[in-house]
Amino acid sequence: MIEKVLIANRGEIALRVIRTCKALGIKTVAVYSDEDTNSMHVKQATEAYHIGEAAPAKSYLNQEKILDVMLSSGADAVHPGYGFLSENDDFARLCEKNKITFIGPSADSMNLCGDKMECKAAMLKAEVPTVPGSPGLVKDAEDAAKVANDIGYPVMLKSVYGGGGRGIRIVTNDKELHDGFETVTSESIAAVGKSAIIVEKFLEKTRHIEYQMCRDHHGNSVHLFERECSIQRRNQKLIEQTPSPVVDDAKREEIGEIVVRAAEAVDYTNLGTAEFLRADNGEFYFIEINARLQVEHPISEMVSGLDFVKLQIDIANGEPLPFKQKDLKMNGYAIECRINAEDTFLDFAPSTGPVPDVTIPSGPNVRCDTYLYPGCTVSPFYDSLMAKLCTWGPTFDESRTRMLTALNDMYVEGVETSIPLYKTILNSEEYKKGELSTDFLKRYGMIDKLTEDLKQEKENKTDAALAAAIIHSEYFKSQVQNNSNNSANWKNKLD
Amino acid sequence: MTNFKIQEIEKSFDGKIIENLGDNDYIIKINDNEHKLKIISMNSRGIEFILNQQYHKAKYLEQSTNEMNIVIDNVPMIINLHTHYDKVVYKNSGGSSSGGAQIALKSQIPGKVVSISVEHGDSVKKGDVVCTLESMKMQVAVKAHKDGVIRNIKAKEGASVAKGDIISDIE
Repeated sequence: MIEKVLIANRGEIALRVIRTCKALGIKTVAVYSDEDTNSMHVKQATEAYHIGEAAPAKSYLNQEKILDVMLSSGADAVHPGYGFLSENDDFARLCEKNKITFIGPSADSMNLCGDKMECKAAMLKAEVPTVPGSPGLVKDAEDAAKVANDIGYPVMLKSVYGGGGRGIRIVTNDKELHDGFETVTSESIAAVGKSAIIVEKFLEKTRHIEYQMCRDHHGNSVHLFERECSIQRRNQKLIEQTPSPVVDDAKREEIGEIVVRAAEAVDYTNLGTAEFLRADNGEFYFIEINARLQVEHPISEMVSGLDFVKLQIDIANGEPLPFKQKDLKMNGYAIECRINAEDTFLDFAPSTGPVPDVTIPSGPNVRCDTYLYPGCTVSPFYDSLMAKLCTWGPTFDESRTRMLTALNDMYVEGVETSIPLYKTILNSEEYKKGELSTDFLKRYGMIDKLTEDLKQEKENKTDAALAAAIIHSEYFKSQVQNNSNNSANWKNKLD
Repeated sequence: MTNFKIQEIEKSFDGKIIENLGDNDYIIKINDNEHKLKIISMNSRGIEFILNQQYHKAKYLEQSTNEMNIVIDNVPMIINLHTHYDKVVYKNSGGSSSGGAQIALKSQIPGKVVSISVEHGDSVKKGDVVCTLESMKMQVAVKAHKDGVIRNIKAKEGASVAKGDIISDIE
């Protein structure tokens, strides 16, 4: 039985894991870098160990150092959170070797999930639909053109060594394909010294819908429903919700059965996520497995009534799942907004620095997972995610309205945040109607709408702002003229 | 009577306190409209008040003699003040380098200076790139906020700047 968990992470997710451990009476070990000496997870854990400099490579990614702490602190398990070492199969293997329970899938399963080609092959074998394309690498441009003509244009040429927009071309005919093939090859060689290209059907106006997988060590598999995460910027999720507006009970069951097959195909254990693209025609295509607890897991907790970290620990302890698929019922609607420290108008550039004051929203069915506290600092060394604001309601609209109220209540002083953008999105007709797609921000001109909304908000606050300014300037004047710092005194002198 | 200008909505207002009713109640006038105002609490950092039966909370962030940076009910706003008290303030504060606030080009984000695109004495137009910063692996251009001539370049290549640090002056 797990009695002491080291959390190989920081920020809100470290706090999230610590909370459940405390509730279960499990001891916690925090690790921290120079930059995190004053962070909440250090203060909340049973024990805290310094592991190095601010740069992730010298602290949160330093496997040997973290192993040292696991052994010296007597931790019998490690929770990797998300990011950092969470999907590093070498680290999972290192834990396995040292008889420390890695709370997540086995190193072998993680390795398989992380290899896009191998994973796709395993899915095809299990009859899990994937995006149509070449079964493996294409030999040359001729080979690519043959695949493209079979599946139909437009297609994507993708270097398997690419990522972040590099080594990808969308082509619409044979000529573009031949030119594109050369470009992708040379880009890939320039970047990593080698090239390996696959061809995939290019899908327009897609939704990102993912399923929560859950599988124990006894072969029991269930899915814990879907999440729609279509609202994104630069391929990173901003707002998630469950259920998806385009998944009804029948569809949920149909795709859910596929998800269970996918988990079995890679012998997945513990919690994970199967990501799908949903084409505009309603077809679902598997893209990849995220072999970890997702950022957006709280909304699934809200509609399932389960504590996912507890579930992870129980599974890691070898316990069988306490429920069958038919026992699980989805209840209500949940939304998550990722409160990022970034400037929407500077192309989402990060905004970091001291945060002198913070207001965290609360109330029934409002949950805010965050590392923020008044006087903390948003570090430039780590992710821009400061808080996850989640709301629940028995109807979608109640959940949405509750989120708008919570966004209005939330205040983070000192850094730019994505809060204003979310208010614009949640107020838009497209969002209310569930007209979601991964290009939502561009497709519906959300940044322009935000500019208008901000202007309107300032118009609405004009009288109040002026009242505050009038009082302040009178106060200021009296201070200067009377050399007095006493505001009560000032008030008496006003007439 | 003080004149207030709100930059973001490009509107000007006249405003003053016209009566102190006692018990922290006041009548203020904004343009031609009178409003009832009750101060709940205030100090140099902020104020809580009820204006026409609605609660508001304001924080005073940075302030100079002619510009106020406030957050009203979580909404940040910049208000310019045109008042004859300006001169009084200058005198009382021992004067200051005149008009510095308008000349200085400040960084809107913290980061490392990757490159500086101008030299002392260069003429720049509003929107020209003055330097490039890197923050969390992203490069962001800092652009001239007005036409003018570059003076006193404060930023150094390879050095870090904080939000609000002066990059250079543009005169």
